[in-house]
Amino acid sequence: MPVIEFRNIAKLYPGETRPALKDVSFSIAQGEFVCIIGPSGCGKTTVLKLIAGLEEPTAGEIKKPQKVAMSFQLGALFPWLTVFENAALGLRQKGASESEVGRVVERNLRAMNMHAYQSKYPSDLSGGQRQRVGIARALAVDPEVLLLDEPFSALDPKTTAELHDDIIAIWRATKKTIVMVSHVIEEAVSLADRVILMQSGTVDSVFPIELSYPRRESENFHRDVMRIRREFFR
Amino acid sequence: MALPYPVSLRERIYAIVLGPLIIVAIMGLAFYFYPILEPTGPSVPLGDIFVAALYTMFRLTVAYCCAVVAAVPLAILVTHKAAFEKVLLPVFDILQSVPTLALFPVIIMLFVRFGNLNGAAIFILSLSMVWNIVFTLVGGLKLIPRDIVDAARVFGLRGWSYLQRLVLPAIVPQLVTGSILAVAQGWNITIVAEVLHTYIPGGTSAQDLFGVGSILVSAAANAQQGTFLGAVFAMVVIIGVFNFFVWQKLLHFAQRFRFD
Repeated sequence: MPVIEFRNIAKLYPGETRPALKDVSFSIAQGEFVCIIGPSGCGKTTVLKLIAGLEEPTAGEIKKPQKVAMSFQLGALFPWLTVFENAALGLRQKGASESEVGRVVERNLRAMNMHAYQSKYPSDLSGGQRQRVGIARALAVDPEVLLLDEPFSALDPKTTAELHDDIIAIWRATKKTIVMVSHVIEEAVSLADRVILMQSGTVDSVFPIELSYPRRESENFHRDVMRIRREFFR
Repeated sequence: MALPYPVSLRERIYAIVLGPLIIVAIMGLAFYFYPILEPTGPSVPLGDIFVAALYTMFRLTVAYCCAVVAAVPLAILVTHKAAFEKVLLPVFDILQSVPTLALFPVIIMLFVRFGNLNGAAIFILSLSMVWNIVFTLVGGLKLIPRDIVDAARVFGLRGWSYLQRLVLPAIVPQLVTGSILAVAQGWNITIVAEVLHTYIPGGTSAQDLFGVGSILVSAAANAQQGTFLGAVFAMVVIIGVFNFFVWQKLLHFAQRFRFD
């Protein structure tokens, strides 16, 4: 039973002549880790926004769960709130009691190794730390689907590798459905169990990844990367 | 990160001492070389001038509060929808370009009818401040990054909670800079706004409001150099102290609300 299903989705932004998405169809099962890749402007972020309910499709049908949370490219933290308050934003908005907020937020900040920074402000944090808080904020609302919009694009390789490990650990521990957008093929292959390649606003091809973690050491890692790369640059 | 305003105590002291010194030096030189007023002693004691300056401050504060209460919803309304912006922004642009003092005679006559001369001054001061705040707030609202707006929506911020948790904090830096400009504009207008009798047919100076603005005008008209300089001195001191204890601190505080 798919938790997310796109049926012939089209999206044309107001004032634009070229559709961002045209005839996009795919489905994502409960607990799957899917990575959407493609060149800039291919419509991958629009897919995330449609799942998050930030945009409505121009045509087609979307099936998606109610509880969706999203982590943004640069963290998208509110600069006037502390790490704790940022991570608590969604939960407080849902009307959770302060004791629940304290317990859940602390647990998620600990999971993202940000527990020691809870009284700091975003301006005191590095890019990687902001990203961790953004993910902790998303996890705090206990979503069915976690959306990650290019979460590693502004990070150095070491921080990226550490966050990859954290994301995999969270995914395995929580069994949440994760949909991530990236433009780095190696990243997609090292994390996701299915890679959707988008080109010019539509789904070009879908690649199942059947490698065990950690994948970068795996012999077949480069084979899968090359397989997707060939399609990417075709 | 270098901040665009004085923050250390030494820099603040420079700002509060050097600013008034420069103004007083310029005025002293001007009076020395071009003695347009007779060098008479102060006919209004300096203490009274400071009390008058406090009256003026009170009017400015009330006017400023009214201007903020009007400007915040107006700015939010303008940026709420593209259609509103298309219609309202040109209207505001025309309104802000109408000289506030051109409306003063009409406004005074309205308030005179209700016997509220202070109201007339406060209304005109408020009107002179409001557009500075509106336009800086509109600029601030447009600076809220798209991903922050998206994050707010994803995490369920709607209506009042959206305003309270995102919009109002996000405009704090622009509210502070807009307020500094607005209050400075108010000080300019106060020199006219307190001298009401010139706008009332058959008016007398008894209808003027007690304040540093009316003292300045009356001292200039009666060639009281001491009173004139005393009033300028009081104004400079109050503006300097206000800058030191309020605006500098607010500017520093507002840094936390800036987006990267």
